[in-house]
Amino acid sequence: MAPNTTTTVPDYKNIPHSHRLPVTHREVQRTFNKLSRQSLISLAHQWLSKKNRDFCRPYLLSDRDADDEDEEEAYTPAQSFEELQEVYKELAARKGGKREIQDRILEGDWRTGISMYQLATAEIQYLLDHPNSLRWTAKRLAKIPNAKSAVLDMEVTNDSEHLPRFQAQTFMSNLARELTPLMKAHYLLTKIKTLPMTILRVYIHDSPYSSEASLAATTASPDSARSVFFIWPNGSPFVYSSIANHLGQIIGDDGKHLRDIVQQAIPKAFSRPSARYQLASTNFTTKSLEALLTYRGPGRGNAAAGGWSIFQDHSFSQNALDFITTQRERGDAHEKSGADKEASTGAKPGPGRPKRTLDDTESPEAKRRREVAEGRFGSSAKPNDGQGLERVEVRIDDPFPAIPNTSAQQEVDTSDLNPGPTSRNRKGRPSVLDRSLEEVEELQNEEAWVPDVRVVFRGSHVFAGIRQLVEQGVIDGEKMPGWMTGEAGVTIGAVKEGRIRTKKDHIPGV
Amino acid sequence: MATTEALDSEISDLYARISTLQAHRANLASILLSQPHLQPRLEQRPVLHERNRRNAAKIVEKQAKRNIENVYRACAGVTAYKVKDPDPYAVDNGNILGVRIEVSIGGKFVETYHVLFNRPNAQHKNMLKIHKHTIPPCIPLQPLANKWLPITRKDAETTTEQNLLKFGRSLRKELVSWHLRLEAVEKLRVEAGLENKSAEREEERAESTIGKVLNTFVSDDEDEEDEERTRRRRDGPVRITDIEADTAVREITVTWSDGRAAVVKVAKDGQIEKAAVRFEDGARDSALVRKAVGRIEGLIQRLTA
Repeated sequence: MAPNTTTTVPDYKNIPHSHRLPVTHREVQRTFNKLSRQSLISLAHQWLSKKNRDFCRPYLLSDRDADDEDEEEAYTPAQSFEELQEVYKELAARKGGKREIQDRILEGDWRTGISMYQLATAEIQYLLDHPNSLRWTAKRLAKIPNAKSAVLDMEVTNDSEHLPRFQAQTFMSNLARELTPLMKAHYLLTKIKTLPMTILRVYIHDSPYSSEASLAATTASPDSARSVFFIWPNGSPFVYSSIANHLGQIIGDDGKHLRDIVQQAIPKAFSRPSARYQLASTNFTTKSLEALLTYRGPGRGNAAAGGWSIFQDHSFSQNALDFITTQRERGDAHEKSGADKEASTGAKPGPGRPKRTLDDTESPEAKRRREVAEGRFGSSAKPNDGQGLERVEVRIDDPFPAIPNTSAQQEVDTSDLNPGPTSRNRKGRPSVLDRSLEEVEELQNEEAWVPDVRVVFRGSHVFAGIRQLVEQGVIDGEKMPGWMTGEAGVTIGAVKEGRIRTKKDHIPGV
Repeated sequence: MATTEALDSEISDLYARISTLQAHRANLASILLSQPHLQPRLEQRPVLHERNRRNAAKIVEKQAKRNIENVYRACAGVTAYKVKDPDPYAVDNGNILGVRIEVSIGGKFVETYHVLFNRPNAQHKNMLKIHKHTIPPCIPLQPLANKWLPITRKDAETTTEQNLLKFGRSLRKELVSWHLRLEAVEKLRVEAGLENKSAEREEERAESTIGKVLNTFVSDDEDEEDEERTRRRRDGPVRITDIEADTAVREITVTWSDGRAAVVKVAKDGQIEKAAVRFEDGARDSALVRKAVGRIEGLIQRLTA
């Protein structure tokens, strides 16, 4: 590490890209241990490219002090950037272990330290290599209604805008202005090429100093997560946030608190005079980035999940100039025949009715169940579509079904047993699903007994699992409520009258 | 080796031939089925099995329905249909009104969007509410719905008036203008000669970089300024290196090889209203700014002229 000659005083600066962490630093070690050989090589190429050299200066021959000469070195420093680029090109061309590259980077070419920029790009690389490695919560940037401009907000004119405008430079300076008095942080904002989104990584440095020396000194508990990710899918009002924890690393209260600080600053950084934003929950948490992009993304899938997916993937409506009604491959034929039937009869069967009853050859029951599942789930909830939700939790707000031979005595008992859901002592943190006061009041006004029942589905792909259960005949596909197909597009919600409760006047998915 | 390759290519040729022939057959079949007066002729001709006749009649009817549907869709652009929500707990017995919006550009139907309505209110039967839709979030669906399809409160005496026609019309306008802007940006790219290059570059970059870092300016180190200057490229003639637009195509960024960058703001009808052009050192190029304002289609011509 270069000796820090400047005095360390508390300041109001961000941590620049070029500040370096020693290679032995825990974060550095952890991040580099996770990356694959290929990713490490591509990262090294990236760091050596012209525009990034300022932030990722490797240890070159010219950096060597005269008195260091006699020291034994495992890796001879390269003469120039070009030479290093050649070296990594060669390494890319041949096969070998991952360790070789990792050692070369950490002990050879970047022995003086890994810059913040490098660490950030390495972590983002890992995230893109493993899109299911972090748990994301989707939020929505919602305009705070303004009494004065309420009429204006509604108007759709030739140049009106309804989405918050994302301008990187303005956003970053606003965010930094919000955050620097509270903490020091390193920011990296990247527009991803392969996926339609922009990633912001914030490395939180809980210290009043922004110097290199203070970065290296680990003041906080070593096991707490240091960085936070935010993702903006392009052209949509959503924000996904996540704490970047390494495998097995616990997200402490500190980490959560720091994330919340950053999270609170984000809508402020988006706001302009007369257009104030706040983050609204969208009841959606998952590990799969792909699922996030489908359910809360820039595309057409946000409000057409579950069985309604046939409306977004053209299986319901063919091209208007496609006149061919015969000759379809099998999978397609199912949907098409449904679409055609609906054109012929007045009320279309839509997504959901068994589409064909002809050519029943083997096991009509199984076939029927498969068709029911096809109707309820459409083209969604396929086991390998990469859009698995791992956890779906619902609270049932419907009255407990009346048991035929309940006596008056039992009724009294149940009311005693239920002294109000909020007063129940649940362990741990209060859940998002805990009933609000209004909801409790609403339920108490009802005659029936409404216990606090919560159902949690867990698995690698919850809705694909339910679909399989329907196909196996475990779940009756026709009586199953719609939210079990995933069409509500939430991972947490309350069910009332068999439907997930939604906000009034709010159109899903926008 | 050579023989297996030859066989493989022969097989793939055969597969290609099969699929073209199948497509051809399907085409001919639908032409045949669309013959006028086919139905009565089928009924008059004697057949061996009554079942075959019924099957034939069914297919003919299916084709006729499809023809009518397509003609309506192609000519009207916005069509409505009824579907049934399979959810047994759906409001209003699962009756759903669908509105289908076709977007056609350059003689092709490029996309179909759906908005599905239900009638959640038993008292105000005419009130429609958007249940599901496939409109991307960059289209202002919520403001349009607020304006044309206001929701009547449950306890309200009278139904607030909704105008589905105007809603459909304005939503279609938004969708079509969006697609036209997308198309225009594609054309700009071709005009600037970026089409092929960008594909190449994409491949090359896909290996080495994850994306474009947007906040390289955050660096606070002042001594980097000199390096910045030296690495500035001055080679070759100035050309446009990149044209980028946001998802809604309301903002287009044009980058030149000498570090100049222009950001233009596009109205929904494709008019460029405002522009900002800066040199690499931050100075504004007011001549180009004046040139940039105008229709989106001629942007590259105006900027390069």
